Amino acid sequence: MAMSRLLPALVAVAMIGTLAACTTPDAEGGIPNPPSASATAAPAPTPSVSVPVVRATPTPPPVPSPEPTALVLPDLGVDMPVDPVGVQADGAMEIPTDPAVAGWYRFGPAPADAAGATVIAAHVDSRVYGLGPLARLRDAQPGQQVSVTDAAGTTTTYVVESVTYIPRAQLPVDELFSREGPRSLVVITCGGSFDERTRSYSDNVVLVAREA
Amino acid sequence: MRKTLTAGIAVGAVAALAAFAPAYAISDTTADLSVLHGIPDTPVDVYVNGELTLDDFQPGDLAGPLDLPAGDYVVALTAPDAADDSAPVLGPITLTLEANKSYTAVAHLDADGAPTAKLFTNDISATDAGQGRLTVRHVAAAPAVDILAGGQAVVSGLANPDEASLDLAAGTVSAAVALAGTTDPVIGPADVTVSEGALTIVYAWGSAADENLALAVQTVSGLHSGPDGVNTGEAGLAAENGSTGWLFGAGAALLLAVAAGSVLSVRAANARR
Repeated sequence: MAMSRLLPALVAVAMIGTLAACTTPDAEGGIPNPPSASATAAPAPTPSVSVPVVRATPTPPPVPSPEPTALVLPDLGVDMPVDPVGVQADGAMEIPTDPAVAGWYRFGPAPADAAGATVIAAHVDSRVYGLGPLARLRDAQPGQQVSVTDAAGTTTTYVVESVTYIPRAQLPVDELFSREGPRSLVVITCGGSFDERTRSYSDNVVLVAREA
Repeated sequence: MRKTLTAGIAVGAVAALAAFAPAYAISDTTADLSVLHGIPDTPVDVYVNGELTLDDFQPGDLAGPLDLPAGDYVVALTAPDAADDSAPVLGPITLTLEANKSYTAVAHLDADGAPTAKLFTNDISATDAGQGRLTVRHVAAAPAVDILAGGQAVVSGLANPDEASLDLAAGTVSAAVALAGTTDPVIGPADVTVSEGALTIVYAWGSAADENLALAVQTVSGLHSGPDGVNTGEAGLAAENGSTGWLFGAGAALLLAVAAGSVLSVRAANARR
């Protein structure tokens, strides 16, 4: 009775253990050390599964990928510097004050990362600085090239897939800021109608491009 | 003029980017289990449901995570190279794993130095953009402690085998452990990286009497969420409604200026007369 209940669980443990052995462990800190099989003469059993094991000692922070430093859309005459940015106190993405400077969301992927979307945003305008280069973002066409140069001097080129107006309150941030999926570039600014009372635009203008 | 798309179409347009998975989801039928060995000087073999699963598991080592079907698992720790689990040094104990949860089973010393084990449930709920989660667990043969970050107590009076969690801005924390009510570290200080969108679990383990207290660190990533929005304009200079707001205001101001200018020129003209 007990055995018949345990058997399926054992099989499941063995199967899943095999799968887990092929993947990197969630625990950071390096290469899993497979348990060493004992070579003693005793009839000691060997594990039926291979479980990744790491030392649980504190590890230095992972080396970050080089940050983007320039965003270029040649067809629109846009060539602007990029600074790393984070999150404002209100939870919104931090945006450089000067619309001529774009911000790269530093908690998300960079162009050198293996997966996910590099997100770069800039103000479309400012009461102090006037119109910014991304006022032209709405004119981008699918098929045009966009490139991002990073601090290591590497330029990654993307091809525009879409330019979309999305009401700001409905911006699908979790999709746009995805850390999984194909290497892509998302460029965001504002557009649509303007409400003087709230001093804000109705929409985000969102350009999505994939690595060329 | 381009029209604003409805949200549904817009989401469809960008959803092609990636199959969006909500913050850390395991599955509706399985759980994640990691195992931490926190009993000093005692390598063990770990048996799960009678089957050798971890061979020669060393103190300070972290195994897993294993994605296991929800249910009960019988775990026993034996001396290394035991023939089976009939003479465990710890256990057998039954771990009940619920689906879509993350667990860490810790073999450790109780406050008085006797070997024991505890199944902790890891808080893998989503973190706010820019934040990471820090969980501290006291699994050492030691009295209650305070956890210090940058010299300040952030957790007070934590006793074996309790835990405490806080979400904080991502970054590096200089973490130390002091006996409750004191600030003289018994462990650390050590730099602990609290990554954005990740759970960082710090264990105080070992034995105060044997002077082998140490920190162990486990991380679970994938808890991140996007920022609340992207607000990128304030002047209305790029507005496509063309009538309201700042543009109108600017236009009105310009008209006023022109009008004022004409008045002035009229006055000047009058003055010249």
